[in-house]
Amino acid sequence: MRSARGWRLAGIRSALAAIVIACLATGPALAQTTVRVSGWGGTDVAIVEELLARFVRPVVEPQGIEVVYEPIADDFPTYLFNALSAGTAPDLFYVDIFWAESLMRAGQLEPLNDYLADSSVLSADDIIPELLDAFSLDGKIYGIPKDFNTLALFFNKDLFDLAGVPYPDENDDWNTLADKLRRVSALGPDIYGLALQPEFARMGALAFATGWEPFDEQGHTNLLDPRFVEAFSWYTGLAADGTGVHPEDVGQGWGGGALVTEQVAAAIEGAWLLGFLRDAAPNLPYGAVPLPRHPGTGQRGNLIFTVAWSMNSASQVKDEAFQVLEALTSPEAQQWVLERGLALPSRAELADNPYFQQPTPEAQANRIVFLGASDGFVRPFKFLDYGGSWLDPINAAINSVILGEQDAETALAAAQEQLDLLTGR
Amino acid sequence: MPWRWNRHVQEAVAAYLFLLPFALSLLIFFGYAFVRTVYFSFTDYNLFESPSWVGLQNYLAIIQDNRFLLALRNSIAFSVIVTLAQTALALVLAVVMNNRLRGITVFRTAYYLPSVTSSVVITLMFIWMFQRTGVMNYLITAAIVYRPVILTFLGLTLAAQVLQVLWERWRGRPAGWFEASLLFVSLVLAAAGTGALWVAGVTEPVAGVEPVRIVWLNTRRTIPEGGGWWSIPLPLAAIMMLNTWTTAPTFMLLYLAGLQDIPKELYEAAEVDGANRWQRFRYITVPMLRPVTFLVMTLGLIGTLQMFDQVAVIGSAAPLESVITLAYYIYHNAFPAGAMPRIGMASAAAVVLGLLPLIAVLIQRRVVERK
Amino acid sequence: METVAQTAPAAGRPRPVLDPAAAARRRWARAALIYVLLLAFSLLFVGPFLFAILSSLKDNPAEWPPRLDPPQLNPANWRAAWRLGKAGGGSGLFGQFAPGAVVNFDVTYFVPEGRTPHPPEVTISRRVPGAGIGAVVPDAFAADYAIVSEVVETARKPAEGGVLVTYSFTIRHDGQGPAVDRLPLDLLVPIGQTFHSATLAPNRIERLGRVQSWNNITPGLVPYVFHNYNRVFNENYSRTTGKNLFLAWIRNSLFIAGVKVLTTVIIASMSGYALARLRFPGRNALFIFILFSMMIPGQVTFISNYLVLRDGVFGISRLFGVDTLLNTFTGLIVSGLCGGSAVFIMKQFFETLPRELEESARIDGAGPLMTYSRIVLPLARPALGAVAILTFQGAWNEFFWPLVALTAPQDKLLLTVGLLNLRRAYGAVALDWGPLLAAAIISALPIIIIFLIFQRYFVEGISFSGIKG
Repeated sequence: MRSARGWRLAGIRSALAAIVIACLATGPALAQTTVRVSGWGGTDVAIVEELLARFVRPVVEPQGIEVVYEPIADDFPTYLFNALSAGTAPDLFYVDIFWAESLMRAGQLEPLNDYLADSSVLSADDIIPELLDAFSLDGKIYGIPKDFNTLALFFNKDLFDLAGVPYPDENDDWNTLADKLRRVSALGPDIYGLALQPEFARMGALAFATGWEPFDEQGHTNLLDPRFVEAFSWYTGLAADGTGVHPEDVGQGWGGGALVTEQVAAAIEGAWLLGFLRDAAPNLPYGAVPLPRHPGTGQRGNLIFTVAWSMNSASQVKDEAFQVLEALTSPEAQQWVLERGLALPSRAELADNPYFQQPTPEAQANRIVFLGASDGFVRPFKFLDYGGSWLDPINAAINSVILGEQDAETALAAAQEQLDLLTGR
Repeated sequence: MPWRWNRHVQEAVAAYLFLLPFALSLLIFFGYAFVRTVYFSFTDYNLFESPSWVGLQNYLAIIQDNRFLLALRNSIAFSVIVTLAQTALALVLAVVMNNRLRGITVFRTAYYLPSVTSSVVITLMFIWMFQRTGVMNYLITAAIVYRPVILTFLGLTLAAQVLQVLWERWRGRPAGWFEASLLFVSLVLAAAGTGALWVAGVTEPVAGVEPVRIVWLNTRRTIPEGGGWWSIPLPLAAIMMLNTWTTAPTFMLLYLAGLQDIPKELYEAAEVDGANRWQRFRYITVPMLRPVTFLVMTLGLIGTLQMFDQVAVIGSAAPLESVITLAYYIYHNAFPAGAMPRIGMASAAAVVLGLLPLIAVLIQRRVVERK
Repeated sequence: METVAQTAPAAGRPRPVLDPAAAARRRWARAALIYVLLLAFSLLFVGPFLFAILSSLKDNPAEWPPRLDPPQLNPANWRAAWRLGKAGGGSGLFGQFAPGAVVNFDVTYFVPEGRTPHPPEVTISRRVPGAGIGAVVPDAFAADYAIVSEVVETARKPAEGGVLVTYSFTIRHDGQGPAVDRLPLDLLVPIGQTFHSATLAPNRIERLGRVQSWNNITPGLVPYVFHNYNRVFNENYSRTTGKNLFLAWIRNSLFIAGVKVLTTVIIASMSGYALARLRFPGRNALFIFILFSMMIPGQVTFISNYLVLRDGVFGISRLFGVDTLLNTFTGLIVSGLCGGSAVFIMKQFFETLPRELEESARIDGAGPLMTYSRIVLPLARPALGAVAILTFQGAWNEFFWPLVALTAPQDKLLLTVGLLNLRRAYGAVALDWGPLLAAAIISALPIIIIFLIFQRYFVEGISFSGIKG
């Protein structure tokens, strides 16, 4: 350990020396442009570092562009807004779909249409249209999606085998799935069919399957719409008859955690679950299928969670920044990300990728999640520029009904009241 | 006299020099900041564009914002209840601690532990303890399971105490019902008796108790249930317990210092007059500690009105409405995650928060003076 | 119950008295009761810490029911971890799986009557971590170099309702590859055959009892007992600078707290002395202003302070070539030079000092500066100690202002804000309590140690702040 660190120090020192000498030798002739890139922490740091080292620096460094990566500890949006206001924001940064709209409206992001038109590497047609739409406002594109996630039904094969119930499949609708889950939960008092994470980020996909829209033309939200009520009642109703369970009741904070306890047969999650399963339950025999269809519409609903690279409209080095952006979202870079099973890249052509033909549960689950982006009523996980204030009342309603603290009618009425205040009805 | 005048000038100049660094930083980081907060509260500043005057609009906006009203309610309820609770607990601790016994400083050190640890650390531990499958619910479950045993123990203690007191009185010795020395013997006897009954199978833990699964944090429940505006959200009540636990030891030290300043003669005189333990506490200790109590309550009110850390660390583990305080409301509006900063509204709320401790201290003064 | 009305006039009446022996007995019993009370309170105040420390060793600190005896505290497992660490070619304290390793492993199953015992299927899994650096750049896998022997039955003992069957096998390193950090192991048995015991207790029982899973069967003592602590340190480092984040946060907090102690002690003693002893116009106004500032919560003034730092304190920082003081240590230090309460404590203290010394110094012709530095300061050591220690505590635990003023880059954060990041990182998808509790405990340790050493000053500091009321 110590020697490795020593080497690293020595390496840094010699690198510094080299830089100093290089600067002295070449003088101002080779003007370096620095492009600052930023995103949040976690696994992303490792991915971006590798992407920069493998695919970005080799391309842009010969052109005198130096890329500096500044990952930010977890509260990224707050950091970003502060940095934008202070004029210290980086040139390229992550923008989550969830809070993209307020930045777009505030004019803090550079529209990319002109750059895309001039580019020979990256064009708007390369990107899955649903993703690109999410980052567009009034015909202007404000971000190039780097990856995305949708929801799928993950299930534990052992529990279905034990109960002698067929696995969920892509033909299931709400009724047949509920029946399967109910039969599995009959295994015992501590066994449940579905983990009911009390959030719109799960239940919303079901609401969309009914054809419900989060906002009408006037920008108002109607939770008392019979379609929303139906989805809400189906989801929370699973808790009432003991088929579903609040994840906290099995000592977990979310659906994936509940799945790992092996007390819960299924959970609605995205591909982020896969990395967690590798650590927490490496031997869990799981499968993934698309979310069930709504029996009436015959459609599935889904939510798209996505993150884009966007450019600071106050950047001094916009052209160079776009070059870095091109390299970050190049086909080679995205192929690498996909093969590592780290994230689902945003390029449409990857749908036919050999990776998805691999028989491993992980590759198959990734395929299901990838296809979820364009199957049925799919909406991005964004709510105009309301962000969390729009979600909070709905989540509260879901939570209190699942916990049995309120009935659906009261909870929805209370949530509707708050949303009316918010959306100005 | 020129010499004296000189002396005065010299002293004043020295004083200003001594005070310069502090006064400067106080002026910039408090005075200027305070004035600017008041100014911002009348503007629509959002950190990006330069502020423009909007009059009372921000104040109107916050009083129409349900979340602000909740924050205000939560802050006041939190402040009042926690201040009272921690003052009472601190006094009890100090009285127990104010005994000359071997090893008492070890206990003082132990009690002070929650007070020195950072609120972030404490809150993390607390979220862990108050999970649905956490230690808190486990202890409640255990209390239900062992209820017969606990009741037996309490009953036996009571019986033993009554018998002992009667016995002592019959022997012609003075004995109050709560005589501490007899209480100890009663406790020991009751423990032995309960153990014997348990082994004999007379009292047994209740079998087949469902584990308690109270949702402490992620809930909209209130105490009292459904009490509307006047009820306290359960998560906030949980934070109240936590805060009382962490701050009481600090105030215990203040009380301890106060207790040690009370002249022994007062107690001796009262004892000669035949006052019992409780009377001495009620009519000597409490009045003599009044200045300390005033200080403790003032510090308590100021401290509790600033409650922010706990809300920030709990984060998504509890609904924001149930735990939001004014301090957090201000931060939340100044740096909303993923929306434009609303500095104007934040500042208006900050002005309200700034007024609260002043009002609290004024009311407290009034109350103390009336007594 | 007696009342004052009864006792007061009864003062003249002879009251029952205790004989000396009974009085002594009662004194003892009363002391014993107070100790019982003190112990009960200790449980209340220290119990949660102890239980958190204990739980931070567990595989799953959120288990139900919460147990007091995790396998990590079982000496048999310590011995096994030590032995296995050595068998794997590492040391007893820190194990590994190196060339030359010969790891013998036993596992015992309970087989109910009427079932045939099945030897377990042994897998050295090729496990990729789900998060962190390992997910991107995997290390070497033990699976590539491990040779597993045949699984043989070595013992069979009758037990109630069935038999206990013990199987043994050996895992060797093929000698070709490098030394690997971990040797994970999975055993699979048919359903119905239940796990009883093994050389080392498994980390997880999966698939309804069919799979017993070990993260590492050659851990060595320290990684086995303190695996959550290991995770905190190993999983948090900056890829950009290679710095260990958690250590960096501790260092940052120590540095900032140290600097603040220094500035506060100097500034507070000077200001406190001026306020207590020197006469100058505006003294009362200033004192009231200080008291006022102590009453106003920091959330009232932070927006302006944020802007002041953002603009480099009215542009002064530009003179030094720095555009903004946000996210810098300088900014944090400049904005927190000295708190009003420290000045208050020093003023209170100086007022308790006898004036005679200063008077005589003045008669000798010493100016205020001389009097302050030669006479007053040396006397102020206890108060300075108190201010220092309280400032240190305050700075170490400060959360709100650093959360506003210093949020990036990751390796410059203070420990409290860093902890909030860990809480978000480990709590974003799942609340992973192991590393969270471990991190909380590590960050509480320095202040607890300092408190234990300097507790006299703590107590004095608290009392000084209350002298006047």
